[in-house]
Formats: sequence, C-alpha cells, structure tokens
Amino acid sequence: MSEYLLQMTGIDKRFGGVHALDHVNFAVRPGKVMCLAGENGCGKSTLVKIISGVYTRDEGEVVFEGQPITHITPAEATRLGIQVIYQDLSIFPNLTVMENLAINSEITANRRIVNKKRWEQTAKEALSKIGYDIDLYAKMGDLSVADKQLVAICRALLFNAKLIIMDEPTTALTKKEVDALFKTVRQLRDSGIAIMFISHKTEEIFEISDDVCIMRNGKNVFSGRTSELTKKDFTYYMTGRELEDDYFVPTNISKEPVLKVDHLTWNGKFHDVSFDLRKGEILGITGLLGSGRTELALALFGLGKINGGTITLNGQQVKITSPIDAQKKRIGYVPEDRLTEGLCLRQPIADNIMLSSLKQLTRVLGTLSHDELFEKSNEWVKKFSIATDDAHKHASTLSGGNQQKIVLSKWLNNDLDVLILNGPTVGVDIGAKQDIHALVHDLANQGLAVIIISDDLAEVVVNCNRVIVMKDGAIVGEMTGDRITEDHILEIIR
Amino acid sequence: MNKAKLKRMTRKTEFYMLIVLLLLCVVVQIKSGGKLITLPGVFTRLNVTVLRTMVVDGMFAMCSLVVMISGGFDLSFPAIAALSYSLATTICLNNGWCAANPLAGFALAVAIGWVLGMLNGWIISNFKLNTMIVTLGTQTFFTGISMGLLKLKEITSTLPEGMKTFGKLYIFESADPASGIRFTLSAMVLFLIALCAIVSFMLNKTMFGRALYAIGGNEVSAERAGYNVKKTKFLLYSAVGALAGFIGMIRVCMESQSIPKAMIGKEMTIIPAVILGGASIYGGEGTVFGTMVAVGIISLVSNSMLILGIDTYWQQFFNGLVILVGVTVSALQAKRQKQ
Repeated sequence: MSEYLLQMTGIDKRFGGVHALDHVNFAVRPGKVMCLAGENGCGKSTLVKIISGVYTRDEGEVVFEGQPITHITPAEATRLGIQVIYQDLSIFPNLTVMENLAINSEITANRRIVNKKRWEQTAKEALSKIGYDIDLYAKMGDLSVADKQLVAICRALLFNAKLIIMDEPTTALTKKEVDALFKTVRQLRDSGIAIMFISHKTEEIFEISDDVCIMRNGKNVFSGRTSELTKKDFTYYMTGRELEDDYFVPTNISKEPVLKVDHLTWNGKFHDVSFDLRKGEILGITGLLGSGRTELALALFGLGKINGGTITLNGQQVKITSPIDAQKKRIGYVPEDRLTEGLCLRQPIADNIMLSSLKQLTRVLGTLSHDELFEKSNEWVKKFSIATDDAHKHASTLSGGNQQKIVLSKWLNNDLDVLILNGPTVGVDIGAKQDIHALVHDLANQGLAVIIISDDLAEVVVNCNRVIVMKDGAIVGEMTGDRITEDHILEIIR
Repeated sequence: MNKAKLKRMTRKTEFYMLIVLLLLCVVVQIKSGGKLITLPGVFTRLNVTVLRTMVVDGMFAMCSLVVMISGGFDLSFPAIAALSYSLATTICLNNGWCAANPLAGFALAVAIGWVLGMLNGWIISNFKLNTMIVTLGTQTFFTGISMGLLKLKEITSTLPEGMKTFGKLYIFESADPASGIRFTLSAMVLFLIALCAIVSFMLNKTMFGRALYAIGGNEVSAERAGYNVKKTKFLLYSAVGALAGFIGMIRVCMESQSIPKAMIGKEMTIIPAVILGGASIYGGEGTVFGTMVAVGIISLVSNSMLILGIDTYWQQFFNGLVILVGVTVSALQAKRQKQ
C-alpha cells in the first residue's frame, strides 16, 4: 500500500469553454491534515466535487487506498469513507439534534419506518465518537454555529469516514470557536482520519495543516509539506504576485479630534467608553465576540441605545438618533455582514454604488437620471478597479472582495468625516484584501478618519496607527505605533 | 430534563392554540347556557354541527399541512376537489352508477384528483418552480376545464341515491331537549379521525414524512443527505390531488349535491387555519394536532355566532383576523429562530 490515502493525478475538467481544472495532481496522507488553499474561483470547489462524486472528471486517475477508482458517485464516495462537510453544514434547522445526526444513515440504510430508539442510539454513537455532549432533543436551529459544526462532524463520523473534507469551516466562527474546532480536528487526525481543510486564511493554514496544496486558476502551483513553506511563498503562490505587508503610515493627522466619545454607555453592551479620533487616523477597535466592539459601532451610527455619556463631532456635542442622522453628520458604517446588511445583491452594481447618495442625482419632482447614475458609478468602478465589464450586472456576480469595494464606494460617494469599517475583509481573498487595505490607507491620508473593527489581529496590526482593545464592554487597553503587535493585543485580551 | 420538555412545549404555537380553544369552549358554554356540551349525553345540536363542519375543512387542512411542511403552498386542492367530484358525479349520473353505494363515485374522484395532482407534482418537481405560482396557475386551469371545457352542471336532487344515503349515515342520534329537533353525528367524522391518524403516522413515523420536514427545513441538505427530493415532491403532490378528490366526494355525499363552483376560494380559509395551527410559512414546521386545534377554533366560532347573538357578517372579520394573527405569529417565530 502506498503512503497516500487518496491520490489524484492529472485531473482535468472543463465546463464548456472554461478550463476549471488543468491537470491537477493531488494527494492526501492518512492521519494528516491537508489544506487545499486558493483564492475564490481557483477550482477548489470543483476539485472537491470531483472527489465527492458530484462531478465526473474528464481525465485523470484517482487511487483510493491503493485501489484505482474509475467512476465516483456520491454513494460510492460515502461507501469508500469520504465525507464532505459543506460550508452551510447541510443541517436541518427545524429538526432536533438527534434527527440531524441519524437521518443520513437512516436514508442510506433505506429505512421506511422511523424507530425513535434506533435513532437515539445512532445519535448517541455519533456524539461519542468525539466525546461531545449536547441535548439530543434541542432544535438544531437554536444552536451556535460552532455547535452545529460539531454535530455535522459527528454525523460524518458515523459513516466510518477515512477522509473528511471541510469546506471553509472557519468562516462564521470566532477565534475561540476556531481553536475549539482545531482541537477536534487534531483529535480526529490523531485517530487516523485524514482531514482535507479548505481555506484561504494564511494563519489558519499554517496553524493546522501538515500538507498544503495551493491552487491558482485551475492549476495546482504548490503541493508539499507546510513546514517547507514560508508565509511569503504562500502568498506568492496564492496570488501570483509578490505582496509585502504594507504597514499604514499616517501622513496627515489633524490637530483637533473630529470625533470625541466620552463615557459612552449602552446598558448591558458597553460602558464608560471614551476615546477620540483625528482626521487621517486609522483607529483599530478589537476584542472577542461579545466584547461590545460591534455595539459601539452601531451606537455611533445611530443604531444603538445610548444610556449615558456624550459624542462630540467637530467640537460640537451631538445626539445620533438614526442611520440617516448619522449620514447627515457625515458618519459612514460598513457592516460586518456585507451580504445581508450592506448590499442589494440582486440589484445592478451601479444602483448599489449610488444607493446612499441618490439625493445628489435627483432632479425636480424627485426623478432620477439613469445616465448620470451609471456615469457616476462608472467613475467608482474605475477608481477602485472593481472587476466587472458592465455596471448593469447584479452585485451578486462579483467576488467578495469586489463586493466589499462596492460597499466602500457607496459610502465614499458622500463626503464623510468618519468611516467605520466592521470586519472589512471577512471572507475576502488575500489579493483583494491588500487592495482594500491600500484603499483605506489612501483615504485616511486624504483626511478621512477611519475606525476598523476587526478580530483579525494581523489586519489590525498592519492597518492601524492606534488600537483600542475591548473586553466585556469596556476598554482594557490602548496602544500606538510600534507597540501594536499581535502578541501585545493577545496579552490584553486574555 | 422534565423542565426542558415543558419549556419546549410552551414554545410551540399548538400549546397556545389549545388554550385559546379551551377558553373559547368555556365562553360559548356559558354564553349559550350550556348548549355546547351537556352531561351525560355529551353531544348537542351545536357540537355535532361543529364536528360536521370540521370534517371537510379538517381533511382539506391535512392536504394543506403536508404541503406546507415540505416548504410549499398548494392553492389548487379545492379546484382539484371541485373538478374531481363534479366530473365523477356527472359520469356516475350519466351511466346510472352509484344507485346502491357510492364506491364508483369515490374511485372516479380519487383517480381524477390523482391525475390532476400528478400534473402539479410533475411541473413542480421537474421545473423547480415556486409552488404557489404553479398551483395558482393550475387552480385557474382546473376551474377552467370544469366550467368552460366540460361545462359541468350543478347536480342537486338528481344526485345518485347511493351517494345521498351514504352521506346521511350517522353514528349517534338524539333530539334537542328544548325544541325536540332530531340531530345526528355524521359518520363522516370517522374519515376525519382516520385521516388524521394516517397523516400523523406518516409525518412522524415514516421516512417519507421525515423527508417532508427535511425538505421544508433545507432542501439542499435533504438532497445531500440522500433523499430523492424530486420523487418525494412528485409523490406528495399526486397524493394530495388524490386525497382532494376523495374529500370532495365526501362533501358531495354530506351535502347531497354537487356544485362545481362550491370550492372557489376555499383555500383562503384553509391555509390560514393551518398557519394558525403552527405550520410555518417557510416550511419545516407543523403538526396534525395543532392544525386540528386551529380548525376546531374556526368551526366553533363560525357555528357559535348565531347562538351568541353575533351578526354572521362578523365571520368575515374573524376569518381576516385569523389570517393576520396566524401569519404574524408564524413570521415572528421564524424570526426568533433565525436569531
């Protein structure tokens, strides 16, 4: 038997004119964690779908446990011990934990009648595989994302999985939850199961993986041991260009603060928060989920309830009552979840860009000029190099990074004094991330005051000239310049 | 553990609906001077009428319930029922069938309903279209066949004898002590009870039933889990069609008449009742028990109005209220779950 559990050579797949996979070579060792990395659209998901039998390959060989496999179907993949945990976890929010755990094996066993006792037994067996304890009768939809994930993992283990493929499992998790997940992954790995971990987050890949396979434009550009790879090489392989961490150097900080917050309190969310912000600064606010960082931003944007303290804008004490009011006071907010809160996905790109500045475009009687709308939005498309050939297309046709650029341009269209960015690069590729960071640096140096709220410490360190750390609703630390390091922040958070 | 069970129970819509039903019963019992239930005889003219209204409405509600659990909306089942029974009775009448028993009529109605349901199922599962739009289309289409193409007529006094006598079967007979008017409890109630038992077993104890919940909860996951979603949907809509045909025939027998237009707009009173009973407008939720409680509330109110001295015009008002309350509660619950 070979050293590999799964070995794929020369895998080729075309969809019409698109060469999705170009002779990809790929191998997974048993009892190891292998990361499949690459930017969006590089062919990762196509490759996964070939392994799981959803797509059929055009060319290439697949060898599993030393046996050549000519044709894979989803059922065959399950029988071989290949399990995929999709990003949405494939769970049923309306059913109980027990049903979610047992339903797949019941269907596979071709049962017709429900036997509660057998279901319960199956569910208990599944949970015992990783020693996980949860109320079997709790409704799946009521669980946290991390718990849902563990249930999905337990379910996969029921099928004597030898290879578990996890599709971007950390996207919706907090740092703490990621740590817990990694613990489980290591536990599985040590029990001899091979894990294929799909991700584009550099830190995670280096933390968890033994082997890495990096794909770009349908080709695999690197495969080998993680230990042989440096972070710099990794970024190069991912993006095809040399990217240096581009630290923010403030050049244009004003003397007087544009925003001053004094003892601001939102009962139960945060209390006695005081800080000031000058034009040209990028202020980072970081902390764990639930530390009050997001609520602080919401309060500044008129979406929170202020129980005490004051906000001073340009020397004048103000009350911000609603998002419209915040906009009038020249404060912009880019939400965490850009898909549901920041964008109308099924509206043209142009409309999205101009959404919060339609007033500038309206004429008598409130009519809109469409030509003008497209003209103006095209300026932004060019300025931010948003990757589209036509601003009439829906925003949903763009990748995460480009969508984020739309959200940014939407706000920048209005003259702003303060721009609040919440998790600006969540789910964005490294390349696009760099573009967005560079853009924010430019904006700050042109005189905008920026607040970045993020739990991506690397992002905070690179982009901010000042950082505030929050914990349990209060500010527990502040640092500037060279004192801003990941270690230093972690020290305070913990 | 017991506490958790209690907590889970009180979070369900059915629980509150049951309380509403019981309160209503008490109100009607007191206001009517004890006409809802008498002891030891239990049955009264009022409660047998309530049960009688529940037969057809309750059975239709089962059609609507199973579809809603799977995440769909069926607006066409009353139209299917109407076309099935009108055509079936017309055929029986023309051939002189059903003089002794209504079996041929039932067989025909079920077969016609099944075919119409298959059309729904085929369109919905093959083209993956919005079920509400599809059944809105087929509803109008089926009514059009009945009225325009076949020109089916009302059949009243000429209805085959076998159907009439079957509809008059009863399991209990008594007379009102005050007025001396005879009243009976229709035997058709047994069909309602049987159907409730079958649907309940199907939903909770068969993999097909769990498939409906799974599809209603997350269709993509159901497919990945190994369910044949296409086949399940096809089976579901064809079964609902056949069932609608059967229910339609029960109605013809009970009313001793076949009126092609009688079912128009029926879905607009049934679907709100199902939602009121705890079925989610987004799919994946709903129980037989909750649905029957809601149907009970609606029948009780509409039949008690006269006795309570409320103008029957208020029935429209009440039905509207049911729709609003039911849909609002359902939407709020879905929202809470998302959070």
